[in-house]
Amino acid sequence: MLTRRHLLAGTTALSLAPSVRAFAAPAPEPGPVLVTVFLRGGMDSLGVVAPVDDRNYTADRPPEMRLLADGDKPALRLDKAPAGLDFRLHPEMGALRDLYQSERIALIHASGLANGTRSHFGAQELIERGLANPDDTTHVGGGWMARWLAASGDAKRPAFVAAAGVPEELATHADAIAAGDLRGGMSVPGGKQAATVLGHLYREGNGAFEQAGRRTLRGINLIDGRLREPDGKVAVYKPTGNATYEDTEAGRSLMTVARVIRMDLGIRAFTVDIGGWDTHENQPPRLAILVGQLSRALGSFHEDLHAQLGNVVVVVMSEFGRRLRSNKSNGTDHGHAGLTIVSAPKILGGRLHGAWPGLASDQLDNAVDLAMTTDIRSILAELMNGPLQTPTAVASSFPNFTPKKVGLFA
Amino acid sequence: MAFDLDPRMVLNKLAFGPTDAELGEMRKSGAEAWLARQLKPDAGDDCAERIKAAKIHLKYTSKNPDAEVDEDRSLGVIDQPIEEHWKLLDKSVANNERVFLRNAVVGATLIRAVHSRWQLREVLVDFWHNHFNVNAAGDSTVAVALPAYDRDVIRAHALGNFREMLEAVAKSAAMQVYLNNRSSRGGAANENYARELFELHTLGRPAYLNALYNKWRDVPGALQGHPQGYIDQDVYEAARAFTGWTIEDGAGIGAGRKLPLTGKFTYVETFHDNYQKRLLATEFDPYQPPMSDGNKVLDLVADHPATAQYVCGKLCTRLVSDTPDKALVAAAVKVWTEQRRKPDQIARVVEAIVRSDSFRRSAGAKIKRPLELFVSFARGAGVDLVPTLALIGTLDGSGQRLFGWGPPTGHPDENDYWLSSSMIRARWTLMLGLVEDYWKAGVAAVVPAIASRPTPEAAVAAAHQRLLGSEPPPQVTAAILTGMGLRPGISLEARKDTVPVAKRMLAYCAMTPAFQTR
Repeated sequence: MLTRRHLLAGTTALSLAPSVRAFAAPAPEPGPVLVTVFLRGGMDSLGVVAPVDDRNYTADRPPEMRLLADGDKPALRLDKAPAGLDFRLHPEMGALRDLYQSERIALIHASGLANGTRSHFGAQELIERGLANPDDTTHVGGGWMARWLAASGDAKRPAFVAAAGVPEELATHADAIAAGDLRGGMSVPGGKQAATVLGHLYREGNGAFEQAGRRTLRGINLIDGRLREPDGKVAVYKPTGNATYEDTEAGRSLMTVARVIRMDLGIRAFTVDIGGWDTHENQPPRLAILVGQLSRALGSFHEDLHAQLGNVVVVVMSEFGRRLRSNKSNGTDHGHAGLTIVSAPKILGGRLHGAWPGLASDQLDNAVDLAMTTDIRSILAELMNGPLQTPTAVASSFPNFTPKKVGLFA
Repeated sequence: MAFDLDPRMVLNKLAFGPTDAELGEMRKSGAEAWLARQLKPDAGDDCAERIKAAKIHLKYTSKNPDAEVDEDRSLGVIDQPIEEHWKLLDKSVANNERVFLRNAVVGATLIRAVHSRWQLREVLVDFWHNHFNVNAAGDSTVAVALPAYDRDVIRAHALGNFREMLEAVAKSAAMQVYLNNRSSRGGAANENYARELFELHTLGRPAYLNALYNKWRDVPGALQGHPQGYIDQDVYEAARAFTGWTIEDGAGIGAGRKLPLTGKFTYVETFHDNYQKRLLATEFDPYQPPMSDGNKVLDLVADHPATAQYVCGKLCTRLVSDTPDKALVAAAVKVWTEQRRKPDQIARVVEAIVRSDSFRRSAGAKIKRPLELFVSFARGAGVDLVPTLALIGTLDGSGQRLFGWGPPTGHPDENDYWLSSSMIRARWTLMLGLVEDYWKAGVAAVVPAIASRPTPEAAVAAAHQRLLGSEPPPQVTAAILTGMGLRPGISLEARKDTVPVAKRMLAYCAMTPAFQTR
């Protein structure tokens, strides 16, 4: 069969200078792809997936701050919910509900970080480092994704970051390519002359800047040629099927990831960051916009990558959930457990996983926040054991941790 | 320790890079005298005339043809008091007017960074804007409050007293809007400001003892009245203490009455949670006088030893290196603590840091952030710098979006962050775009002198001398000549393209690791 890879090989070779070919894609046969989507700021999981008939839920939040079963826009019913409760999804998340109904995705509520920090930056650091105890940050190096790649024999493969800055998940990974948006191409400003000068300028030396310069030139050589028409213009990206990405942070970055996955470059690790979830004030309209954008972007991504889904795993996470009781700014303050969304081949999808801890005061963490019943690391470990096919990487990805069974796979 | 360092090194670290004029001044009067002057800058703005003369294009359409705007607008508008800017929040005013104020402050910041003789103040203004980050690019109400925040809060206190600065920040419209304290009300307070006050503005995350959550007695030192850190319960209590601290933003105060619309700080007693509190192991009695609870919180956090440690550590990271040694931070903490009631506390701390042996040994330890990179290149290449929308847009895309970083941390100050492939490409663009004048930001005055050199290697040497004050290493000359296809020794004199060639040489010299670090 003639694959897209073969079709592109000719144009790629033509558009690259001979010296550049040495940087061509790493050895073939990489394992499945992992995409992490980090919702920065703390997603209010109780405003996104919640038991609308739980009497603590209805008592502790005014109607505008919670999901409702009735009204103009009732929240979307989720099948196979636990505890005989009517769990529903935010009404703006129709595309996500479709993925749930088709059993491609599973939701793990009351999941997250096994540490009580209510600090954004403390919680993000621990999750990204794959740790729960801050004391471990002094002697466990790097991010969990970097350790996963190293333990999977992929230390030399580049990772791809659909943002300007490399997140801590990939800290210490030697080669991350960062580009939030590829619509303008990914060339060296100043053209071929500049590329040659810079190639010589950074050829030697092990200072941080020379290394970064070399890494950047390698990333450009790997990707830019694949973005271009034979005449050198940046090709307009054509998603598969009817997929259309919105020009939002979620839409742009998931489109960028899909485009690079379809290049088939042997990249296994992709990261996406979406900001704006810190809704201390005026939450209802802000959250509705954010979850709608996220849901539609995930819907487009799955349609676009329809042919590749057997090799793609997506995990959507946030540093924490938010307080059950809202504040008087029509917002919510920092809480504890949150929601994890997983898309994977052969997942037991279309259901809510994990134990539901309940929302009564004595069931809440510190009597105020949703308690954590599933450690995010157990979810990631199950993915490594299952679709990612890297079971031996679990121990070094998550040191000092024994994963518990989540049951995402039969 | 005597301050007798190499002028170029001093200007790389305590200014936005060297200029001929400042190198000459420092060589004449000595670095010691330069530092003494920089630590006590004139209160006024020596760039006021330049800022007034600078214009940024503003264009928008409207249903009403009379309300359409298509003009070059002076940046001098940032001098107006906040109540004037606040009028732009009226629904009838186009959002472009609000966005303009953020662009105007960015433009003024660029002008001062290039031209102000009070360079150390500009460096510290950049530091404090990140320490007390607000996002004017993401919220037009913050944009409207930005000129006053920049002028009356950050600039006014950049070398002053931390406790005074902290209060000015707490009362500023920009921070009140950004971290939501203006909408916080007794009963279920908004914790956003209170949490970041502890975690980012004062004690810092290392002092957050989250495992103790509500067990305040277990915090080391608490029972002696000197808790070593803070817990979530302190955040909740601080949020209660700051209820009532708000701004005149038209919010309802009961019986159909509303606060005026000026953006100025005000205290509304009926918003305040008056009952007793316990914060950092200190009891607050119920029903204290107006604003007493909030001021007491500011006293406690400003005086806390963890604050001295945290903020001095950040200053050392900014001015010296990513990993400042403990003795340096300890020396800064000592001065911070001794001088904490003095009006020039921050200047004294900065002086202690830069007179240290660590500072002396720290040349090249930091990757320049995009603002430092761009401005130091403009200063070295003799670009007058005209702020334009295209330039601001490019800077925004470089990873350092001035007054536009989303999370309250401010831009990262560790080298690694600035070395992603996306950022490196943006840095190359900043260098090339400045010499080739992509953004109509002005021409590089040094180009003719480089273009008039007889050979390519002499031209590269001239460009390198301009930017770095030294002969280029042979591999730099070789890289540039090879890439540009110029054989050493050929004559440039008969060529017609010497100006574009010189521009490229200048940009490539700026892309060397030596120029990209400070």
